[in-house]
Amino acid sequence: MRELIPWLRLILQRRGRLVVGAALLFATLTSGIALLALSGWFLTETALVGLLFAAGVQAYINLYVPGSGIRFFAVSRTVSRYLERLYNHNTVLRLLTDIRVALFNSMARAGHRERGQNTGAHWLSRLTADVDALDTVYLRVIAPATLAAFVTLLVVSLAWVIFNGLVALMLLSVLSLAFFTATLSVYRRTRSLSGQLSDRQERLRSEVIEHLEGFAELTAAGRTGKHSGRLMRHSLALSHQQAMIDGQVGWHGAAVQFLINLSAVIALWVGFDLFQQDRVSGPVLVLLPIVLLGLGEAYTMLPEAFGKLGGTISAARRLNEDIVPAPEHPSVAHPALHPEDKNQPLVATDISVGYPGYAPVLTHFSMRIQAGERLGIVGVSGCGKSSLADTFAGVISPLAGTLTTLPCAYLTQATVLFEDSVKANLLLGNPNATDAELWRVLELVDLAKRFAHEEDGLDTWLGNGGSRLSGGEGRRLVLARVLLSKAHLVILDEPFTGVDSVTRNHIVPQIDRWLESRAVISLGHGPEALLPSGRTLHLS
Amino acid sequence: MNSPAQDDVRHWLSDLGQTSRRWIQATVLAGVLAGLATIAQMALLAWLVFQGIVEKATVSSLTPAFFGLLGALVVRAVGQGLQARFAARCSEQVRRHARRQLHAHWQALGPVALSDTSAGALAREWLDHVEALHGYFARFLPQMTLATLIPLAILMLVFWLDWLAGVFLLLSAPLIPLFMALVGMGAEKVNQQHFEIISRLSGQFLDKIRGLTTLQLFGQTKQASELLYERSDQYRRITMKTLKVAFLSSAVLEFFASVAIAVIAIYIGFGLLGYITFGPSSELTLFSGLLILLLAPEFFQPLRTLSQHYHDRAAALGAGAEILARLNQPIPGCSGTPPTTLPDNSETLRVDDVSLNYTNGAAVFDHLSVTFKRGETVALTGPSGGGKSSLLHLLAGFIRPEDGAVSVFGQAPGTDAFGWLGQKGFWIQGSWADNLRLTCPGASDVAIEAALRQVGLADLLDSRDQGISSPIGEDGQGLSGGQARRLSLARIFLADHDLVLLDEPTAGLDATSEICVLEALHKLAKAGKTLIFSTHHQALLALADRIVVVNDGEVRDA
Repeated sequence: MRELIPWLRLILQRRGRLVVGAALLFATLTSGIALLALSGWFLTETALVGLLFAAGVQAYINLYVPGSGIRFFAVSRTVSRYLERLYNHNTVLRLLTDIRVALFNSMARAGHRERGQNTGAHWLSRLTADVDALDTVYLRVIAPATLAAFVTLLVVSLAWVIFNGLVALMLLSVLSLAFFTATLSVYRRTRSLSGQLSDRQERLRSEVIEHLEGFAELTAAGRTGKHSGRLMRHSLALSHQQAMIDGQVGWHGAAVQFLINLSAVIALWVGFDLFQQDRVSGPVLVLLPIVLLGLGEAYTMLPEAFGKLGGTISAARRLNEDIVPAPEHPSVAHPALHPEDKNQPLVATDISVGYPGYAPVLTHFSMRIQAGERLGIVGVSGCGKSSLADTFAGVISPLAGTLTTLPCAYLTQATVLFEDSVKANLLLGNPNATDAELWRVLELVDLAKRFAHEEDGLDTWLGNGGSRLSGGEGRRLVLARVLLSKAHLVILDEPFTGVDSVTRNHIVPQIDRWLESRAVISLGHGPEALLPSGRTLHLS
Repeated sequence: MNSPAQDDVRHWLSDLGQTSRRWIQATVLAGVLAGLATIAQMALLAWLVFQGIVEKATVSSLTPAFFGLLGALVVRAVGQGLQARFAARCSEQVRRHARRQLHAHWQALGPVALSDTSAGALAREWLDHVEALHGYFARFLPQMTLATLIPLAILMLVFWLDWLAGVFLLLSAPLIPLFMALVGMGAEKVNQQHFEIISRLSGQFLDKIRGLTTLQLFGQTKQASELLYERSDQYRRITMKTLKVAFLSSAVLEFFASVAIAVIAIYIGFGLLGYITFGPSSELTLFSGLLILLLAPEFFQPLRTLSQHYHDRAAALGAGAEILARLNQPIPGCSGTPPTTLPDNSETLRVDDVSLNYTNGAAVFDHLSVTFKRGETVALTGPSGGGKSSLLHLLAGFIRPEDGAVSVFGQAPGTDAFGWLGQKGFWIQGSWADNLRLTCPGASDVAIEAALRQVGLADLLDSRDQGISSPIGEDGQGLSGGQARRLSLARIFLADHDLVLLDEPTAGLDATSEICVLEALHKLAKAGKTLIFSTHHQALLALADRIVVVNDGEVRDA
């Protein structure tokens, strides 16, 4: 469970809220128990006094206190339940924000290199599921388990006060067993099963996706039947595993309820002895078993929550692995070395390029670029163009050799747009840019008309990953974002992917003029994919 | 896809329930057993209290009753455990059935219709949406029945004990459907709101993580983090506003349950004191009074449980709507009459008087006829949207014509295995050998290596330690588009099919892959295979024996 510690620490920052939430949970539970117990006490008292009345014996009964107590608990149960749900829901939403922001911050501290290749859609959906598992760990696991333990101890103390130490000890042992069964025992029995569940599910997901992507080929080869048979088998194994967990949780839940009911029976059985020795009164004798029956409510949700804990812990483990501790100095963009000569924005001397841990894709590479120069780099896919661009931009460090660069504006090969307005997406390139400047760069990439026609103009919402734009439009928008930057060095990796040739021919001269005094390195699969370049390197 | 009506979804869910009706019944039965044992437990408890306190019976004389009580506890626990177990089995079976249905439908739709939807979305339907049916069948559906049966049993018992107390409970009974509607409305709203907010927040978060490198490049991570916080907090405040109202409905149920207990307790107390001079209260004893009190919370408990499971229903309806929409997706070409006789000619591929429409009704082909000979290399060319791909899909049997017949070497298309190369190559996580054995399970290692060399993947293979047993995605990058297409081509080499259909085999390839693909096709053509491909590529057109222009649904030789 050590995996949960960093997350618990984060959750505990909201200590005040957690305590208030727990107090409300406590109030709800005890109001419910008190309502029943007081009613039971009252009935027994009235029954006994009623018998005395019937026998003509003079007796006194205070109806006012228990009557108003019953009314009070009836109301307080409802009110505290409502407040508790509202308050704790609010807490969960706050924790959700805390966890996400903390996760984002620590990922942002680690550089691209430390994050490695973990950027696929697959990994992202996995990440969401893992974070979701942690969001509810307080409300499902920590709060109810603490509450159950605390109220159990209170009930045992009550037994000590109104009955005796021996009864208290007996109840303590039965209830401890119930607590153990509802928590640790369920967790131990389901730990490995529920820990594997999400891994298995993700494996099955990639198998299904592969099956669908290869559906035409598999159909042609007459192999879909065999292949889908295998998928069905794997999914059956998965549901069987889930059913096993459900079964375990169910039997443990039944055992817990049995033990709690058993404690009520024990209290009554032993209580009769004390009653007959006149050590406790009838109404008090009835009180304790009813309190114990009410205690069951504190335990009902525990087995299920602890049955899922194995999965939660492996989610935490995966997140802990993903978030490598931040390096000494953040390796975000911009390498440490700056050239002495401002007229040489980039000088590479005998560098090797590649991702750490893999064979370098380029070795002994040297080049320099002058201010205002246009350099093109051409090569087939897989020759290391993008790794070279990443290295120039400081996303990854050269494996060997020295590289000095000025801060640069870098258009990555992937088009990255955020679910936000056009304006917010552009401002990343230069947070101080005015609206006029934004329209100017949009004009450069031939997008100004496109958004001028939109009702919201620059505030047009782009949708998930820029889904409201075509591929070419998205590409031009991220290009505009780079053009907004004032950096003296501009690196463009496949700047015109998805942009049709008519538009490209139109915008290339405008962009070239805009970048006049700056050094531009453009990379692409062929000369037509570049800005007009004075010098072109061919990678092979 | 149009989303189906709620009624249809309910109907589909209930049909699905029919398949594991026995398990649902068993779940309900176990729940009833647990419920009856609970009633017995309470009755024995009340009786024991009455005997011990009022009748002053000795402990030893009560021992049999105590053992009876223990027995009731055991039965209750067994019932509860069995209920969980049966529920798990029921849901397991339902999920299997739903997955089978989807699978069968994929099969019927065929590759062309399926490719309209992303594989990720289809996989989500098959996995997550089917998973979302679990709670409905395992918890909600049995609890629906239990929430009627158990309160009814308790009500009857209470009426027998004291009809006035029964009336108190009954008074709340007409309110129960009202509660359920209220709770349902509240729960559905909370559920919907909650999931919407959670998915929006996840979206925001993922969006920022996805673009983290970009944010770092522009030095904007701090601002992004602040924005993330701000948006999350904003969503929280909006949600809390609606929750304030939504939680009220369940508070109403809670309130009535509490008030019913309080009223009954006070009524019985006063009755036992003899203060109530009308009705049946003079007959009340500590036994009947205590039993009624103990049963009152049990009367409401099944309803409270049901309200906790209400979101399962909403989730299942939501997921069911999406699954049903997929299952209702029409199978293309099914309206047409199946071809009656196939022209018996094993040496040609024939498209005979075929008509085919787009889903919007416009005609792709109107009574088209064309014949290709065995061993021919045919290039289909023409403008995009002219029907090249449709013709290939017809020959592959991926779509069926509305009218007319297609035969491949005298048989229905797709009867014999053939080679297919789509625009996207396809590879699975696993070794090179796994990937090739996917369509050709019996292939030898030597044959696999030879096939990979044929398509120019030898260099890549030689750079790996374990040759064809090394995993494909070893460098964490996987395959480029061109490499993936060559891998698919290697499968075709390995399988040695007579017919190979290729859709734009060189479109969008890098120079190396293009050369490899061209060489490979040349080899296949020389080996006497029947090759039919769509293309605009000059080098490919040069390779063909016959060039056919497909334009506007018309076919003519160039």
